[in-house]
Amino acid sequence: MKDEVRTLPKAYHDAIEHWQRHNFPDYPKLAEEWDRFFPKDEPFCLCAKIAEDIPNEIEVGDRKGQQKALAPKELPEEAAKHLLTAIKAQASTEFGSIQQHQGTLARAQEPQDHAWALRVMAEELRHGYQMVHLLTSADWSPVTDTKAADMVEEILSMQTGSHVLAAFNLEYDSFLDNVVFAAFIDRVGKYQLTMQKISAYKPYASSMPPMLREEAFHLAAGVIPLRRWVEAAARGDGYITISDIQKAIGKWFGRGLEMFGDERGGQTNVKYGLKDMANREAQDMYIDELQRMLDDLNERYVRARFAGVGRDEAEKRFTRIKAGETVDGVRPEDLLRLPDRRFFRRRGEFAYQMVGAHGEAFTDVEKYIAHVLANLPEAYRASIDVKHWADLQRKVTRGEMPLKEAINSMPRLARMGGGCPCAKSVRWVQESSAS
Amino acid sequence: MNELDIEGICRIDERITGRYRPDVWEQRTAYYLRRDPDSSQVAEIDGRVVGFMLGEVRGGEFGLEEPTGWVEFFGVDPSAREKGVGRRLIEALLGHFRSKGAHVARTMVASGDKEIASFIAAMGFVPAPVTALEKRL
Ligand SMILES: CC(C)(COP(=O)(O)OP(=O)(O)OC[C@H]1O[C@@H](n2cnc3c(N)ncnc32)[C@H](O)[C@@H]1OP(=O)(O)O)[C@@H](O)C(=O)NCCC(=O)NCCS
Ligand SMILES: [Fe+2]
Ligand SMILES: [Fe+2]
Repeated sequence: MKDEVRTLPKAYHDAIEHWQRHNFPDYPKLAEEWDRFFPKDEPFCLCAKIAEDIPNEIEVGDRKGQQKALAPKELPEEAAKHLLTAIKAQASTEFGSIQQHQGTLARAQEPQDHAWALRVMAEELRHGYQMVHLLTSADWSPVTDTKAADMVEEILSMQTGSHVLAAFNLEYDSFLDNVVFAAFIDRVGKYQLTMQKISAYKPYASSMPPMLREEAFHLAAGVIPLRRWVEAAARGDGYITISDIQKAIGKWFGRGLEMFGDERGGQTNVKYGLKDMANREAQDMYIDELQRMLDDLNERYVRARFAGVGRDEAEKRFTRIKAGETVDGVRPEDLLRLPDRRFFRRRGEFAYQMVGAHGEAFTDVEKYIAHVLANLPEAYRASIDVKHWADLQRKVTRGEMPLKEAINSMPRLARMGGGCPCAKSVRWVQESSAS
Repeated sequence: MNELDIEGICRIDERITGRYRPDVWEQRTAYYLRRDPDSSQVAEIDGRVVGFMLGEVRGGEFGLEEPTGWVEFFGVDPSAREKGVGRRLIEALLGHFRSKGAHVARTMVASGDKEIASFIAAMGFVPAPVTALEKRL
């Protein structure tokens, strides 16, 4: 059960390496840090990995039991279109997250945190490589007029601001974002990949297991630093407060939920055998899992606050605090909590409904905006993304803009001119194109 | 096993050894998760981790060239013992080793550790034709 390794044709391989030099200049450091932090591990390989032992028959949906497609033309046209959109979106997230990580990577305080984040980035590069392999090793002409080379060029020219999904268009404010992103956004990635393990398109299904194995480490690279930070915060000797983490959660959680697609949708993917769950079902599981993650962090925090008491007593106290009691000076609001799923939403069922972090309903738009701002990190509040959101929220609430238009509006860093991102010939423009 | 099982593993370790060592288990779980997350196993009862078994397939250790499934760290919560949890954990781990092409599993047991020795023997392990040697430095 070993994965088959594939390399892209030289032109595409070179294009990705070129992209790496511009967007991921710290990549060579990985080789320098590898032996210290991952001594027994096989060296990193920039390549596509194809799992064996993938079922030949479609596992879910209308065509269950029939042969999986080996080429796009063997899929129903609508299914192939959906799939192509999914692969392009997935590619955009892989390359996009590297651009985000790169901005604040060097600010990691601990060498191990740095090495872990660096490895996560390199593996995202490999995932992007895998998506490019899927786009270039098959004939997509039944569903698109765009040539493979142009699809790749389009993906490699995206910048933070012009990616497909909003979560990949937000800049990181500090290394805290590298970590919270791994814990929250890579976790959505895990769900998306897991759902697509059954893909009716066999080359895609075969791409999932190797990516998922890497994703398991990405989640650890998010959760483990968080575990240490909450403990340090509890002891009072850390640099990152619970409130800092809470606000970073406010920044990312809604964007993570929106990566599942509209709560009411996703049945088509199941029907076509491309995913085994519709959007809301997967999102519910994701929320439950995040709740367990926060319980884990909070329990560690409480235990560190009561250094003298044993585990069983600390667990009891945690249960009481979680239920709303203040115990020996530790208040419920000292713990991390997941915002309401309707809080600060811009897409999906709850887009632009004015629901607060604790589920409270707002009627006054200015009060709502103030509430959201109070729950976001300061550096992010000063971003164009937040201003753009607040403007849209005002317009939607006052009836000056249809909801649909607001949902489709993202501030975009549209590419003007040349194909090489080194030109950085981009400027902020507002587009109303749906993603 | 995944990253949200770390505290459950710490709890069992603490019940066995009396020591709370989150940093140690974070490093260990991160190691197994990045090498082969499908290998190491945890057992849950009512959503609570009651047992864990960490290991992986490696080749080339001690000059043993063949791919070997190493059973390295395990524990079952004292309140959940003698109910077959340890057996199910090791069966899952060995099953994974087999699927990765290993034809032999190995482990090391401290000679004074009768409990672990009995468990490992009950699981079908027999003394290997190698001798563990050491020298104090
Ligand atoms: C060893 C251990 C894993 C067994 O877990 P368990 O869930 O109780 O084991 P099971 O119920 O699956 O038992 C399986 C077999 O092992 C044998 N066994 C288990 N514990 C035993 C003991 N204390 N003495 C003798 N035999 C024992 C049983 O006979 C049983 O065989 P059977 O199924 O034929 O009756 C558990 O006792 C433990 O965690 N011990 C401490 C481990 C430790 O110190 N870990 C740290 C080092 S990494
Ligand atoms: Fe990825
Ligand atoms: Fe990832």
